[in-house]
Amino acid sequence: GVYAYLEMLGAQAHEAALKQEEKEQQEEKLDRLKKRVEELRLQRDKLRAKVDLQEKRNLGKEGFVSEPAQPSAQSVIEWKIRSLRALLQIFYLTGISGKPTKQGVCFCISTAYEGTYLDTYHVDLLTTADVQIYRHSIPVFIPLGQIAKKYLQTDIRRFLAVLSEHLNAYAGRRFQVEQLQEHFSEQIEGPLQKNSLCNLLVFKYNMSSESKTFLLNAKLLYGDICSSLPTEVTVSCSPDAPAFLTEVAAAHSDLFRRMALHKAFHSISTAGSMEA
Amino acid sequence: MDNSTCQAYEDEIRSLEEEIKLLAGKYEDNQQESTFFSDEEILMAMKSFKEEFRGDYKGYESPSDLEAQLESLEKDLSFVMKFTGLQFTSHSKKTVERTGNRAVQRHRLSGNCHSLSFQLEFQLLEEQNKDKVSVVVTDLSIVLESGEDSDVSKFVSSIEEHGNLLMFFRSLSSYAQWCEHRSSTFLHFKVE
Repeated sequence: GVYAYLEMLGAQAHEAALKQEEKEQQEEKLDRLKKRVEELRLQRDKLRAKVDLQEKRNLGKEGFVSEPAQPSAQSVIEWKIRSLRALLQIFYLTGISGKPTKQGVCFCISTAYEGTYLDTYHVDLLTTADVQIYRHSIPVFIPLGQIAKKYLQTDIRRFLAVLSEHLNAYAGRRFQVEQLQEHFSEQIEGPLQKNSLCNLLVFKYNMSSESKTFLLNAKLLYGDICSSLPTEVTVSCSPDAPAFLTEVAAAHSDLFRRMALHKAFHSISTAGSMEA
Repeated sequence: MDNSTCQAYEDEIRSLEEEIKLLAGKYEDNQQESTFFSDEEILMAMKSFKEEFRGDYKGYESPSDLEAQLESLEKDLSFVMKFTGLQFTSHSKKTVERTGNRAVQRHRLSGNCHSLSFQLEFQLLEEQNKDKVSVVVTDLSIVLESGEDSDVSKFVSSIEEHGNLLMFFRSLSSYAQWCEHRSSTFLHFKVE
């Protein structure tokens, strides 16, 4: 009766109030967003004008009288700070970089394959008494202990150079495998087996000749772990394979010995079928 | 209707923020790369900065804050150049391209390693892919003093062809070590 009716009116009023609140919130939000857009547009336009001015000045455009603002002492010093930082960054490209710490030096070894920079590794040395390795990020399969035993106390530069050789060779081998898997995955049959040091690779690959596909087995051993080329290569085919395939296998074997793996595959695929 | 306007505003905000970030970066790059101050100018700036400072802290704790940063960087640089034997005498870079996750810079670098002086130019591409940054050197050109030696020019050509900047520096460094070793050995014999 009356009570239920009053309840219903109350609920309606409540709902209407909620809707009104929601509407106001929406309007507020839209308003905020609109203001923000205008703010940002203004900021963007100002920046654009600044950059245009810079570029005109740098190009020394005809008829443009530039009043270069006298740089403040602070901005000159900040310029120098940024230049020094940039130069320190360049040292990462040279392969070995180091920063003195309270108790020694923290060295950074970069690796690269040709123009592509790969992982960087750190060796933190303590030099207070005899030289000690405090911390490092050298993978466990790199013979750090051996290299340290031989060189660390007598010649830190040589220690780092030898370590860098090992790391760069490892990084180079791993890079070749990754390139192979990325660009020649269709030629690789089944999983490519390798060890963590990436100095033993075993895989099967296919090659086609006269619209027939043949399977070859490859085994690459990198006996010199400071080298990114293998010392031993075995390429074989199944016993029932046609005669010409043995010659192909021999040719490929030679190629893998002399050339980086991904480049060898590139050479094979561009040469088309390797007919004797 | 309201929702789509909201969305449109939010999209524009995101794109404006991105654009502002790029423009600010470009402005900074231009500022940094188109100016050069000599060592004397830096010293003078340091002096006048300390004088200006009496009473007005421009966001730094004290003048020694900026001075400390400068000194610390110079010390770090001096250390690494002495250790590696690579003395860089000049460096300039120009940002050729900068987009969301990609930057291309042209670098000019000259220096020496013991008695050998060199000048390099190269392009550096830095690209951010997910959580990895890839750095690639291209367009490498090297001028190495004593480049008349045919072995040396073969070495330099091969380095340039493959963009093997790291190999170049490692070889220079080991040459430097050899020089040092040789001169200390020589001194040893001289003393004897």
